[in-house]
Amino acid sequence: MKPIRRRFPWAFLAKRVAYGALAMLVIAIINFFLLKLAPGDAAEALAGQAGTADPAYIAQLRAQFGLDQPLLSQLWAFLVRLATLDLGYSYVFNERVSVLIFSRMPATLMLMGAAIVIAVIGGIVFGVTAARYANRWPDRVISFVALLLYGTPPYWIGLMMILIFAVTLGWTPTSGMENVLAFNTGWDRVVDIAHHLILPALAQSIFYLAIYIRLVRAGMLEVLSLDFIRVARAKGISERRLSYRHALRNAVLPLVTVVGTNVGNFLGGAVLTETVFSWPGVGRLMFDAMFQRDLNLLLSILVLSSFFVIVANLVVDLLYAIINPTVELK
Amino acid sequence: MANPILQVENLQICVRKKPGVLILRGVSFHVNAGETLAIVGESGCGKSMTSLAIMGLLPDAVEKLSGTIRFKGRELPITDNRAMRKVRAAEIGMVFQEPMAALDPLYPVGKQVLEVIEEHEKLPREMAWARVIDLLTKVDLPNPETLAWSYPHKLSGGQLQRVVIAMALACNPDVLIADEPTTALDVTVQAQIMRLLKRLQRDTGVAIVLITHNLGLVAHTADRVMVMYAGNKAEEAPTRDLFLNPRHPYTRGLLDATPNPERASAQGGVLREIPGTVPSIADPMPGCRFAPRCANASELCRARFPEPTFEGAHGYACHHPVTDARV
Repeated sequence: MKPIRRRFPWAFLAKRVAYGALAMLVIAIINFFLLKLAPGDAAEALAGQAGTADPAYIAQLRAQFGLDQPLLSQLWAFLVRLATLDLGYSYVFNERVSVLIFSRMPATLMLMGAAIVIAVIGGIVFGVTAARYANRWPDRVISFVALLLYGTPPYWIGLMMILIFAVTLGWTPTSGMENVLAFNTGWDRVVDIAHHLILPALAQSIFYLAIYIRLVRAGMLEVLSLDFIRVARAKGISERRLSYRHALRNAVLPLVTVVGTNVGNFLGGAVLTETVFSWPGVGRLMFDAMFQRDLNLLLSILVLSSFFVIVANLVVDLLYAIINPTVELK
Repeated sequence: MANPILQVENLQICVRKKPGVLILRGVSFHVNAGETLAIVGESGCGKSMTSLAIMGLLPDAVEKLSGTIRFKGRELPITDNRAMRKVRAAEIGMVFQEPMAALDPLYPVGKQVLEVIEEHEKLPREMAWARVIDLLTKVDLPNPETLAWSYPHKLSGGQLQRVVIAMALACNPDVLIADEPTTALDVTVQAQIMRLLKRLQRDTGVAIVLITHNLGLVAHTADRVMVMYAGNKAEEAPTRDLFLNPRHPYTRGLLDATPNPERASAQGGVLREIPGTVPSIADPMPGCRFAPRCANASELCRARFPEPTFEGAHGYACHHPVTDARV
């Protein structure tokens, strides 16, 4: 038995990459003007930190950063830098922007990835369980807790989890990404980081976990009422196999779509979670850049974030086509 | 000859926790090995519910009130899902009405046939797959090796129903329940599917329970016919006997309501209908449930349910059976 392989949709991929590049260009331009609308700039912020308001000093800083140029030539300079993958220099942090972002990116991606994995796996397991025991006690408990989590502000959940699990019970660290002073290496370091990761990842996933549970439960109930489930039952296959092999794969399709659109939200939520848990990621860097009026750094982060969201959506579309063979990517 | 493989005795099915609301009001019948029994009746008469009960697939909203279903002499544990899994497909296969909705859209059709074999028999994968191809060949599907890897949306309704039949017969069951197997298909395809079922029956000796409201289909394929009305068995007879000499007024009405160009002139060009509607399943009428629509009905009919009367193989439940033969 040899399955017939489907060909990889190269044409689809090429088209989506072109659209993605265009979208990033538009995002860069729009964000550039949006941020220029805000009062203040990096020169003022730096001068303020230096404790001076000397117009000559500020003007000198502006000339040094290129902030005295006309708006459109600043935009052009920014776009050219983007196109050549040279993100420039942050005078506020005294470091190359690319170095700043890429030193922070792994932490954020790890947090985001862990949160998405928890939300998706938890959503599937609890959603399927709730659907299999629809309107009996396991379903009632799961649905009630999901509603509760859905209605609770995530930052409050984060703070409460720190209070309970870190402060009172002492099970996890309160903040940070690793115990730097322990100088862990290899496996010890992985365990240490995982230990630090649990709370922030949970805190960030909980809102989405609640949504995914409800989504999977509703999808499962719908699919379980379809004809082919009864036919499959008439084949004598077990309820578990029925739920996970036939019903779930059909019910999970809307979940895949929603997770794809949520990737951006997860990245946005990182600002809050990273602040609450002192997680050294891009979210906090963005927060700092905003306060320092470091426009170039902020823009670079925004464009890079949009890049990740676009790539994630592309991956989700490819994944969708794998799960649902009736979809043809064109 | 009489070798009942499936015996249903006094089967009563009611709405869950409401013993007064009966969907099946005590139905008994048997199926002999290798024969075709047709169960006919209009929508809601309980014919589909009967087949689901045999498979142990009753919806959650209903439950068995009383009665037994015997397969090869032993009682089927129809309320025990785990035990029934060994019966389904392995001993009693089932074909459903809507082939377009009967298969999981996300798996190749061959895999879905394979699933049945893997569930019931310990076979090496290669041998099981060879059997899938063999089954798809037997149900007359073109290029079975390629078609096995097609997804359901690529196949026509007729092709899908052939796959479903292959699935139902994959483990050589002794009984095949076909619940309106051709209703959703084009007329030309209907005839092909029925011919296929008859041929498979000749080859394998499987008994077929054909559930339908298409009397034309019954006349051509069934050995015996059971007519159901509002949860009761109205009449049961060998096919030829039933069509030529119906004794129950409801059967007579059904036959007269079937379009037939030869009879049309005798009836003045008008198709005769049965007046009135089917009583509600919650209606506790004590007598014959057909009485309100029956021209022959008397006080006796309204007061007491008619016990089945048998004249040889021909049985009917009526106080005032029709006596004149049909033209």
